[in-house]
Amino acid sequence: MSPKLRPALLALAALAILPGFWRVACALPGFGSPVSPYGQAVNALLPEMRRVSNMVSAINFDVRGFDTIGEEFMLLAAVAGTVLLLRGGRGEDRADAGGRIGGRAIVPRADAVVLICRICGPFTFIFGVYVALHAMATPGGGFQGGVVIASSLLLIYLGEGYGRWRQLVREPVLDAVEGAGALLFVAAGLLPVFLGLRFLTNVLPFGTAKDMLSGGLMIVENAGVTLAVAGGFGTVLLEFMEETRATTSEVADPDDGRTGDRA
Amino acid sequence: MSVLPWVVAAWLFGVGVYGIATSRNYIHLIGCLSVCQSATYVLLLGIGYDWGAGPPIFYDHPPGTPAVDPIVQALVLTDIVVGATVSALLLAMALQVHKREGTLDPQEIKPLKGQ
Repeated sequence: MSPKLRPALLALAALAILPGFWRVACALPGFGSPVSPYGQAVNALLPEMRRVSNMVSAINFDVRGFDTIGEEFMLLAAVAGTVLLLRGGRGEDRADAGGRIGGRAIVPRADAVVLICRICGPFTFIFGVYVALHAMATPGGGFQGGVVIASSLLLIYLGEGYGRWRQLVREPVLDAVEGAGALLFVAAGLLPVFLGLRFLTNVLPFGTAKDMLSGGLMIVENAGVTLAVAGGFGTVLLEFMEETRATTSEVADPDDGRTGDRA
Repeated sequence: MSVLPWVVAAWLFGVGVYGIATSRNYIHLIGCLSVCQSATYVLLLGIGYDWGAGPPIFYDHPPGTPAVDPIVQALVLTDIVVGATVSALLLAMALQVHKREGTLDPQEIKPLKGQ
């Protein structure tokens, strides 16, 4: 198809869809007046029934916990697919150092960047753990916390360079963290089954509202999601970073751009 | 006026589809797909919004005070995280395409032939 015909066809399709869209938009409930009784029932009942104050976490890990297992395994499958594709296409002849594009000058990393990354890296990591731990009380949870934890790993690369990143961020550790997270969630689901109850029934004591350790089984599930998301995103970052490795035939500088002015 | 959020969602989706249809680079195409995806966030959050209601987190205000629909928020939350890993998967595919074909232009790439 010619590149000019494409937008014309698209415009025709848009014209055909537009009346239907307008009807649907006018038939939808007006903005700011929700009609779903499900959400309002959750808001009314769950603070008392589960002793948690964050309704979004209560839905993710209790009311719709089974869906969250599905979502977690979707995440696992997407990460596994990324890893398979990248590792499969990469040869074995890679050195343990970052690659170079020929003819491009090596600019040493500025001290300010190193300093900011060294200060912010640990704080970002701790902030991620904090967000994940307070899932039941305040806005937070394993999904958000896990992503923040994984992004703190990226600051290691930014501040310390490729060689240090490879020393500090180990692939078997990330794999174990990711797998353990998924296992923990499924184990939390199976625990009530062994007690003769339904899958994912909240059997642990609920604790008190507004407490970090409220919600019973939700705490375990939240920990599982945190580990799986942090491990999964870390693995993705690591695999894309591996793509930048130099091949063994290239002469690579192990100090990764920090030679010269710094002794 | 109450139609505006749905129009914004449709506009975001349309802009993304236009980008996908006319894209000359797979990386750009994946970015456009993310724009399409964000239309669903606007739609979902718009459906759950309630004038004058607070967040569905009963920490500062007691249970019983009006709060927006938490179901759609939970959906959007997991959608964003899973969507990010799916984008990573698509980017990995784009890398493979570049290695095999030497180009990232969807219009240059020949269809795969059967064995």
